[in-house]
Amino acid sequence: MTDGRVGEPPGSPTPSLEARSLTKRFGAVVACDCVELTVRRGEILGILGQNGAGKTTLMNMFLGLVRPDEGHIAVNGRPVVIDDPFKAASFGLAMVHQHFSLIGPLRVWENMALGEKGRIDEASTVRRVGEVAERYGLDVDPRARVDDLSTGQRQRAEIVKCLIRDPDVFILDEPTSVLTAAESVELFRVLRQVVQEEQRAVVLISHKLDEVLHATDRVTIMRSGRVVAERPTAGATAAELAREMIGREVSLRGDLSAAVGHLEAPAAVTAPAGDAPADRRPVVLAVRDARAVAPDGRTLLDGLSLELREGEILGLAGVEGNGQKALGDLLASVLDLTGGTVEVAGREVASGRAGAMAEAGVGMIPEDRHVCGSVLDMSVADNLVMGDLRSVSRRGVLRRRKVLEVAHRLIDEFEISVGSVDAPLRSLSGGNQQRVVLARELARSPRVLVASQPTRGLDVGAIEYMTARLRRAADAGTAVLLISSELEEILELADRVAVIHRGRIVGEMGRNEVDVDRLGLMMGGQAA
Amino acid sequence: MTGLDRASGVTDVVAVPAPSPPSPSPGDGGAGTAPGARAWSTAGTVLLYVASLAAAFGISALLVALTHGSPSKVFPAMYDGSVRSFGSLGYTLDNAAPLMIVAVGAIVSTRAGLFNIGQEGQLTIGAMAGAFVALKVHPAGGPVLVLALLAAAAGGALWAGLVALLRFWRGVEVVISSLLLVFVAGQVLSYALSRAFLLREHGANGANLTESDQLSSKVQLPHFGSYPHFNFGSGLLIALVLAAAIGLVMTRTTLGFRLRMLGHNATAAKHVGVRAAWLGTVALLVSGACAGLAGGVLLTGQAYRITPTISNNVGWNGLLVALVARNNAWVAIGVALGFGALQAGGGFLTTTGVPTDLVNVMEALVVLAAVFPPALQEVMRRRARRAAAGAPVAVGAPA
Repeated sequence: MTDGRVGEPPGSPTPSLEARSLTKRFGAVVACDCVELTVRRGEILGILGQNGAGKTTLMNMFLGLVRPDEGHIAVNGRPVVIDDPFKAASFGLAMVHQHFSLIGPLRVWENMALGEKGRIDEASTVRRVGEVAERYGLDVDPRARVDDLSTGQRQRAEIVKCLIRDPDVFILDEPTSVLTAAESVELFRVLRQVVQEEQRAVVLISHKLDEVLHATDRVTIMRSGRVVAERPTAGATAAELAREMIGREVSLRGDLSAAVGHLEAPAAVTAPAGDAPADRRPVVLAVRDARAVAPDGRTLLDGLSLELREGEILGLAGVEGNGQKALGDLLASVLDLTGGTVEVAGREVASGRAGAMAEAGVGMIPEDRHVCGSVLDMSVADNLVMGDLRSVSRRGVLRRRKVLEVAHRLIDEFEISVGSVDAPLRSLSGGNQQRVVLARELARSPRVLVASQPTRGLDVGAIEYMTARLRRAADAGTAVLLISSELEEILELADRVAVIHRGRIVGEMGRNEVDVDRLGLMMGGQAA
Repeated sequence: MTGLDRASGVTDVVAVPAPSPPSPSPGDGGAGTAPGARAWSTAGTVLLYVASLAAAFGISALLVALTHGSPSKVFPAMYDGSVRSFGSLGYTLDNAAPLMIVAVGAIVSTRAGLFNIGQEGQLTIGAMAGAFVALKVHPAGGPVLVLALLAAAAGGALWAGLVALLRFWRGVEVVISSLLLVFVAGQVLSYALSRAFLLREHGANGANLTESDQLSSKVQLPHFGSYPHFNFGSGLLIALVLAAAIGLVMTRTTLGFRLRMLGHNATAAKHVGVRAAWLGTVALLVSGACAGLAGGVLLTGQAYRITPTISNNVGWNGLLVALVARNNAWVAIGVALGFGALQAGGGFLTTTGVPTDLVNVMEALVVLAAVFPPALQEVMRRRARRAAAGAPVAVGAPA
């Protein structure tokens, strides 16, 4: 593709947004190194790269959150200086962030009204939200409180919030990491509509190959801060893109199947690794008729029952917001049941009593590791030992040597890359933070390991590692409950698949009998 | 988590009591350090403090000059009154002791993420409980003194216990309830001082507010040495032991670990089995007990009787000590001594004819000067972090 400039003949439109030799350094690290990028009206540009490739830094420069050290940005062919997000918005740039920028206690429409000029008009804002939501087929309740929304719903609200501003360039940062397969397909349909019918430009940041292959027209691949390739998507193969993204050959079948997004999920089902019948092994986790209600009266769990046997991985599929979080909370002892029981290794465990589940042998990789799984402002060592202080203390006094011993052992065993064990967890990359959580939970040799969205937001390498670790834990006899909105992940790992809908299990199938159509129907709440 | 906890840039490395450098901003790929977010050099920090204090003294001098005083006499007078002689040093130490006790208590609750700011009231109730025991239990003697101090701690804990109850039973914000209970405590004190069966002075007549009887010398804290020689009350020893104990508990024990976890991230703490309500209650009770004990020390070590102004802002100032010390118990020892010196010097200053109000303003300026550098550094750090937000910033990413 040629560089479009002002004054060129029609048919070769001026790029909506360009990066010209953009460079940004953080200390010794070059986050973006002479990045060139172009996106035009009417196209979806994919930016593919692993975590740390410089994608987000690049976008933050477009949004005025970060100032480039060298180079400049051009909008509609004119060089511009973007020094804050308001400037970015005035140039028609809008972004859906990976970590949402909605205010929890406010209602959806109030979030939309924020940053607008003039009088706040509930009726008209609600109407506009409704219009945009309908035009793009995004199901959003303008009057719902953001805190009450599931992650998937929040993302929809976030997208509506951007679209309501009528942007020329619409940037999405890892948008499908929190969406179900169906929601992803829906999103890509919306993006298509945005570029084809409304002639906007879309930038889609992703590390999912399949997503980029299916949803984009052109792809720019970044690695270690540089643009390493730029090509039309048509004709590209997943293997080629993966090679360029990672910089090394990867076997697509095993290693990358998790990176290949949901769209090809039905085709990408891999053969079971070991299909020893597990139904004679002892049940180590039994949830019976669990019922729970949220403080605001919503039903969270509505008679949920499931059984988990030693050494098996049970994948819990379902559209997000159907009780997965409540089930995770229940098994983390932070949710109290109004009815029903939980048994771990044959013994009933009281719900909602802090630490009871952990003591009974339930390990937990929570859905949101920043909020529930770790303390970012405490050190790596502290985070590694916090699950089992008893083993590193004597009569309530912490033994520093013991703490260091455990920390170093886990860091070695789980290949956590960290400068110092005393560094705050915050300073680690996302993949390494997740490894810290995993290491801590597995170090307790739990009977049951609950992994909620364990690979969300991780890059290919980290996903590969996490997947292998979960498999290994199951092989060692741990019962793994894998709660995931990525069907692909479940199909790759699980020995058995259960479907959750409206707080109850609506169906179950062995991995060999998985029928994706039936699964889809059940997730949609239809008997199948 | 409270705003203070974040603003004070609490650092949290096991067994490292000294303020550690600010955490590096997560760079892209976790390797980079953002420009400006680098740790301040020690020299830079010192310089900032010096400049800040110089500004405070400069403004103070200006105020003194504007009110027809003589700046050249004021500052030497403050020095004379606080640290110049052994005698004045004694005032400094006696002022510092209750501040230190209040501060280390405040540190416990703040670290646990519960911003108890009701020390002034907890101290008042503590002093009253102490006085009640000291005056009513006979025969007076050493054990009664110990009993009175314990009663003071229990009184403070009770007052903070109300805060805990409201928080964990009804979800009332700690800041609100602890603050409002300060005023209730004042009313309780007025009531007690007006009823003979409680604390009202014997023989007092009329409906006027009075004081309590004076404590018998047998229930007064021992005082070592006497003016003008080096002297200090045993309250200081209590304060030092308590500060050291809390410093150790916070950094070296599982209890302290859990408290810090709770303060940094209550949700995660609950997920790893911390009983948040129970532990939070413990933290509030400890902070209240400390404030109450400070009241007991004030009573038995300095005031020897309950007056309507027994608390004399010690609760508020102790909170400031914790703030300036950035919630580090070891640092709080030094800061409390600094505050003690400031008050001793200020007290002496008023005897030289400088208006009390002006002295208060000068003290406040010095406090502001002490709080300003860390606040500025935190603001600059955040700016830098925001400017460098190109990285995959973790939670709380500026958006």
